Amino acid sequence: MSKPAEVDISPTASGEASVSSSGTHHPPPQPPPSAAKKKRNLPGTPDPDAEVIALSPKTLLATNRFVCEICSKGFQRDQNLQLHRRGHNLPWKLKQRSGKEVKKRVYVCPEPTCVHHDASRALGDLTGIKKHFFRKHGEKKWKCDKCSKKYAVQSDWKAHSKICGTREYKCDCKTVFSRKDSFITHRAFCDALSEESARAQPQPQPQPPPSLGSNLPVPSPAYDKPSSDRDPQYQTSDAPPSPPTSAAQPSDALLSSIKADPPAPPAIASEMAANTLQVLEEQPARMCHAGSCSSASPSSSSNAQTGNSLTVGLFASSTPSLGLQSQPAPVFTDLIHAMAQSDWSRDHGPSISLEHTSLCLSNNHDGPLSLFGGPDRRQYSTPNPQPAMSATALLQKAAQMGATGGNGSLLRGLGIVPSSPRQPENNPWTSVSLDSEKASIASGLGLGLRCDAGSGLKELMMGPPALFGTSKTTLDFIGLGMAVGSSSNGNLSALISSLGSGIDVAAAAAAPLEGGDFSGKEMGERS
Amino acid sequence: MVMAGMVQDEGSSSVTSSSPLQYFSLMSLSPGSMGSSAYPWLKELKSEERGLYLIHHLLLCANHVASGSIENANHALERISLHASPEGDAMQRIAAHFTEALADRILKSWPGLHKALNSTKIASISEHILVHRLFYELCPFLKLSYLITNQAILEAIQGEKMVHIIDLCAFEPAQWINLLQSLSTRSEGPPHLRITGIHGQKEVLEQMALRLTEEAEKLDIPFQFNPVVCSLENLDLESLRVKTGEALAISSVLQLHSLLALDDETQRRNSPPSVSKSFSSNNLQRILKMKQRTTGEWLEKDPVHIYSPSPDSASTSSPLSMNASTEVNSFLTALWGLSPKLMVITEQETNQNGSGLMERVVEALNFYAAMFDCLESTMPRAIVERQRMEKMLFGEEIKNIIACEGLERKVRHEKLERWSVRLELAGFGRVSLSYSGMLQAGRLLQSYGYDGYNIKEENGCFFLCWQERRLFSVSSWRFRRYE
Repeated sequence: MSKPAEVDISPTASGEASVSSSGTHHPPPQPPPSAAKKKRNLPGTPDPDAEVIALSPKTLLATNRFVCEICSKGFQRDQNLQLHRRGHNLPWKLKQRSGKEVKKRVYVCPEPTCVHHDASRALGDLTGIKKHFFRKHGEKKWKCDKCSKKYAVQSDWKAHSKICGTREYKCDCKTVFSRKDSFITHRAFCDALSEESARAQPQPQPQPPPSLGSNLPVPSPAYDKPSSDRDPQYQTSDAPPSPPTSAAQPSDALLSSIKADPPAPPAIASEMAANTLQVLEEQPARMCHAGSCSSASPSSSSNAQTGNSLTVGLFASSTPSLGLQSQPAPVFTDLIHAMAQSDWSRDHGPSISLEHTSLCLSNNHDGPLSLFGGPDRRQYSTPNPQPAMSATALLQKAAQMGATGGNGSLLRGLGIVPSSPRQPENNPWTSVSLDSEKASIASGLGLGLRCDAGSGLKELMMGPPALFGTSKTTLDFIGLGMAVGSSSNGNLSALISSLGSGIDVAAAAAAPLEGGDFSGKEMGERS
Repeated sequence: MVMAGMVQDEGSSSVTSSSPLQYFSLMSLSPGSMGSSAYPWLKELKSEERGLYLIHHLLLCANHVASGSIENANHALERISLHASPEGDAMQRIAAHFTEALADRILKSWPGLHKALNSTKIASISEHILVHRLFYELCPFLKLSYLITNQAILEAIQGEKMVHIIDLCAFEPAQWINLLQSLSTRSEGPPHLRITGIHGQKEVLEQMALRLTEEAEKLDIPFQFNPVVCSLENLDLESLRVKTGEALAISSVLQLHSLLALDDETQRRNSPPSVSKSFSSNNLQRILKMKQRTTGEWLEKDPVHIYSPSPDSASTSSPLSMNASTEVNSFLTALWGLSPKLMVITEQETNQNGSGLMERVVEALNFYAAMFDCLESTMPRAIVERQRMEKMLFGEEIKNIIACEGLERKVRHEKLERWSVRLELAGFGRVSLSYSGMLQAGRLLQSYGYDGYNIKEENGCFFLCWQERRLFSVSSWRFRRYE
């Protein structure tokens, strides 16, 4: 059997040079240790004449120190090993507990940076030093299932798991804490909240759903908490107060009361003084997102409260059965409904149709209701003067031209371009499959100056070589050291076609032109 | 003038002799003396031709800049400037901002000059805040992201009594106000909610705290807001004060990519694969210990993810070259160490982190073309806010992508496929975003009449697109423990 490797025995805890012998220097206050219960020293004050033992980290970490020589089974205690040896018919001897007083031992931590490395701070127990070593200097292998706490000592971990998640502290606001400190912190904070809520107005009861809403499935009772009363709350903000909502709002009182409070302008607002920003300033106050076209999830109760159930009916018809039965989804749709309808109810009667969605929003000059509200679209009602081809489409086109062959004329290609490039109509450009006609558009923009004119313009096109050439000589002294791109000195067609590869269009062939190697090289050669 | 007679008429498609190419070449004849007065027909170029012209010359110019031919780059810039304009159509605006960025890059080679030109710039926080607010207002992307994030959070914290949310860039109160509202209607009642907001500017967090606590009071939700004023690189996870027993959710909207700049710097300095100094030493210990486990775990589970230091220092083009010892991975691993129930990440869906300039220019052209297009289609050109946003938000991003290198270049977008690899390496598992999130997002778009925007779903992640082009990705992840 193997014994623990004891590295050295250092002088006593009291720092005396000599090793004190047992039994000779008992200070009067200490009763004999062999009395009924093993006496523990005060923490931090080891027995001054105890034997100090410094174990190596390996020893401390070793789990099974006693190993059977026959079957190599490891044991933590010698006694257990002995009993095991009986099974092998080996000679065994149980060490009796020695009658005479065992010399007191204290242990130091082998980690030099540790406080307990010093003999005067030695720990009194082998198990203790082991645990200390693991806790402080070991890696935390054990992790609690429920929370994220990690432990290095298995027993700590077990102890924690037993109590983790068990309720201990409960605040008035019904939140539960497992730790006292967090509970106390919260409570200090929460008291303020609870006072506030005590002063707040009680929430109004939900109104009965109107007829149109009745064809919708009845939602779970959880959602009858009126969400509309939250609408007006969203109006508080830095924004200039909007005119009060229609009488259909059940919580008008709350609304107007909140509006009456002068909203404290945020620090940011004060910096942004521009008038144009006022409209935008309203936006942050908007609480609801996705105002109107929420789908027909079971939230008819909240819809009903705002009284504008036609929209609900509309949604029901447009989206008959969405599988939004899951818990969280209706929450959002509740809000969306609530926000939307309180919004709409102000501007329109019940005759809103789905098609007029954008209209009603554009008329929404009142409403900082929607949290994720869009820009005030009425400002943007004027379209751009000349609808131009979109930049994306241009890039694709350039890529095509760069990629495909150099015959044909650019103009032919241009002739194909739709003359009214409104965005939706540009979709042909963005779609993956392009016409073969378009695909064969030649003479890319950047491609060889192959002009079919042949009318002496070629000389014109030659131009000064410096134009396209790379005159490195003049610039070397500047020492620019710029990174040379992958397509240095111009395989420009490849560049342009690499534009195409950046776009999700499969039609752009990546092959550079054979002759259309537009670059200074060509020009340089000719000149 | 000869060319005058060759201006193409509307609708005529068979004139072979008047290719616009010739227009370009003519202009190339006298680079220094071009003016619209000399060539009035230049202005009559149709927008499409002009657009193609601009693209061609932008690439040309970028090519020259990349190879160091300043003279030629200068010519190209001059030519572009005739047609580019921040008030024109989408392509003209793009060209204007790109040329500014290219010029900035060129100028950086004269540091004195560059600094002098920027010496009187007034760094205004309010401008910065304004511009981000504009982006939130004018484009639906942030709103969609918040919507989807909140929905995912709501689903993840069902049944939880204590919820802690960490917002890596707490800028827009609307995001959490929306969540508060949703929580207040939860059937089991609202949980105790704690939100820790991180941001570089104190004022922003103060504002946020104000708005959120106000809202929570109204809704009667137990709520705490903890501001953490620091930048993401210097974040000390201890300051987040994550407690045991609470359900943790992290929301990261367009933030992670700036950390990639740190990787560049680390790789440049060829430091050993150790965790950076950016994080406190506590994190260091924790991360190293966690990594030890993770390494073994990974090596036995998934031999594909080999932890070999990448020899190719600056290139990030191959996913396997990302090893675990990068800054971003340290950060992600540290977040993982907090055992979040959910982490929702929104990032730009484009690869802007190439080491070569041309690569970045081409990618940026594609990405920002779509962004500018969507602005062009959704609001008139005259709107000042749009121009402002284009200049101060997109323009600055473009400038950063093109003109900056190293630590300075913070705009390092990467596509979701790359982020997925990093996140999985750090120990996260993907969680599919639910259909209800998609529906709500769709409703938002519908309700505001945003035409042309799409949301696509792939592998449980959402992509916010303009027409067919993916612009942003939203994905959600959870702490994956090993069994």
